[in-house]
Amino acid sequence: MSLWKKSRVVDVIHVEGRMETEKYVYTPGLAGVKVAEALIEGKIMGVRCGGELYIPAKTYCPDHSEGELVEVRGPWVIKSYTIVYEDMYGEKLDKPVVVALLGIEGARGGLIHYVDVDPDKVRIGLKVEPVFKPREERRGLITDIMFFKPVEHS
Amino acid sequence: MKPNIFVKDKVAIVGAGLTLFRRRLLETPRELAWEAAREALNSAGLTLKDIDCIVVGSAPDAFDGIHMKGEYLADGSGGFNKPLVRVFVGGGTGVMVPAVAWWHVASGLCKTVLAVGEEKMSHAYPHPQGVFAYIWDPILERPLGPNLIWIFALEMRRYMHVCKASKEDIALVSVKNKRNALDHPAAQAAANITVDDVLKSEVLVWPVQLLDISPVSDGAAALVLASESVARRVTDTPVWVEGIGVTTDNTHWFNRDLAYPRYLEYAARMAYKMAGIERPWKEIDVAEPYDPFDYKELHHIEGLMLARRCEAPKLLREGYFDRSGELPTSPSGGLLGVGNPIAAAGVMKVAELFWQLRYEAGARQVKKPVHKAVANAWGDLMQVGTVVVLST
Repeated sequence: MSLWKKSRVVDVIHVEGRMETEKYVYTPGLAGVKVAEALIEGKIMGVRCGGELYIPAKTYCPDHSEGELVEVRGPWVIKSYTIVYEDMYGEKLDKPVVVALLGIEGARGGLIHYVDVDPDKVRIGLKVEPVFKPREERRGLITDIMFFKPVEHS
Repeated sequence: MKPNIFVKDKVAIVGAGLTLFRRRLLETPRELAWEAAREALNSAGLTLKDIDCIVVGSAPDAFDGIHMKGEYLADGSGGFNKPLVRVFVGGGTGVMVPAVAWWHVASGLCKTVLAVGEEKMSHAYPHPQGVFAYIWDPILERPLGPNLIWIFALEMRRYMHVCKASKEDIALVSVKNKRNALDHPAAQAAANITVDDVLKSEVLVWPVQLLDISPVSDGAAALVLASESVARRVTDTPVWVEGIGVTTDNTHWFNRDLAYPRYLEYAARMAYKMAGIERPWKEIDVAEPYDPFDYKELHHIEGLMLARRCEAPKLLREGYFDRSGELPTSPSGGLLGVGNPIAAAGVMKVAELFWQLRYEAGARQVKKPVHKAVANAWGDLMQVGTVVVLST
């Protein structure tokens, strides 16, 4: 018998449950604390191991060696992107949101973030730069960067 | 006695590493895995380049609060451009990790395996007990509002009744293990306590009191396993994995014998048979029975057939299981003393035997000469037994 054939679940005897974990508190970790502090300063960090530079910053590199945290500077380039039209409940967004995989030349990996650009204008290879919240509103979170925006051609 | 299976390669442990075990660590789960893995590799004189396959053990995703935790932990455990498998049998995971690493090597598939156990239980607020609450049958048990300690309280009471063991007898395990842990550099709950301290500690779920229980912990532990040819090249003192055993008893705990860990006896028989051990109570020199609760060490000593049924409390009183005794148990300090980051705790126990058999345990080294050792872990829905037998 499928519950879906009933109009309401309460029509059959059942037990309700809810995991009694109110929340999770995730620590950012040894490298993460420094990355968070750098975000408050308006800086984005990567990690260098030998000759390789990786983003995002971590304590170690994929080859397992201990890394050195270094600031990475743009220009950031869109490596791939998507345009989001609906939220997770299937509701239409007021305005489409552009989400992109962003990288910089000479570094492996990158960051995922919003890009404030007209969906018609977004393309792979577009140069962008981060726009941070005002200093007093930064909390050491990835959302301290509000979004990336196309670099103005001067 | 012949081994009961075909083994392509003999398997040795050649390195071990641990992080600190603590209530709340700053490190991310991945960083913990990386620290333990790096220490294990360093102790083996190997690097990640020398490792063929990765085994990661971790208990419920809901502890760290990260779904697909095994995949998440691959990063940090060296699981990069290599085969990786995640092992998860609840509390039994810690000893399942070296067992699974063993079959990767014994089968001939991998020459070297990095095996990592990790748990970060401090992420869940207000307490990881809220996660444990959902291992219960949602129809028959959960409506009663149980917490995990209910099982242990009923088991402990049943053991006390059947074996005529007293609370004092059982408290001695906590006293011994927390004292042993004073010599362990990673220990979280080492202490010099008395039986009286245990009996006067807060009553949680009678007969279980606060000092009868291991703490909630964060931590990671790692081992490096290698085939015989690699092991003989990288070390003069390989510790051979002679036998592994895994058994699940009835998943519904009402249907189990609560006074005796049958899940463990069957797993132990499997491991002993493989190792050619016929009289474990005479042949095993040192043991790390799984001790998340003090009565559980006694339970497991009996399940491992290191003592007759109901005989463990008497032998404990006589000092038989002390570091200076005839069959030292939990010389590390166990989960009661070192701490209990679930999957990491079992790996820590196997790491301790690795150090004991190489005479590298320092202040924790047992008095007697040691040659054969056994560790076990237990968990899942409290029905799984995992066993590893080591020798030099």
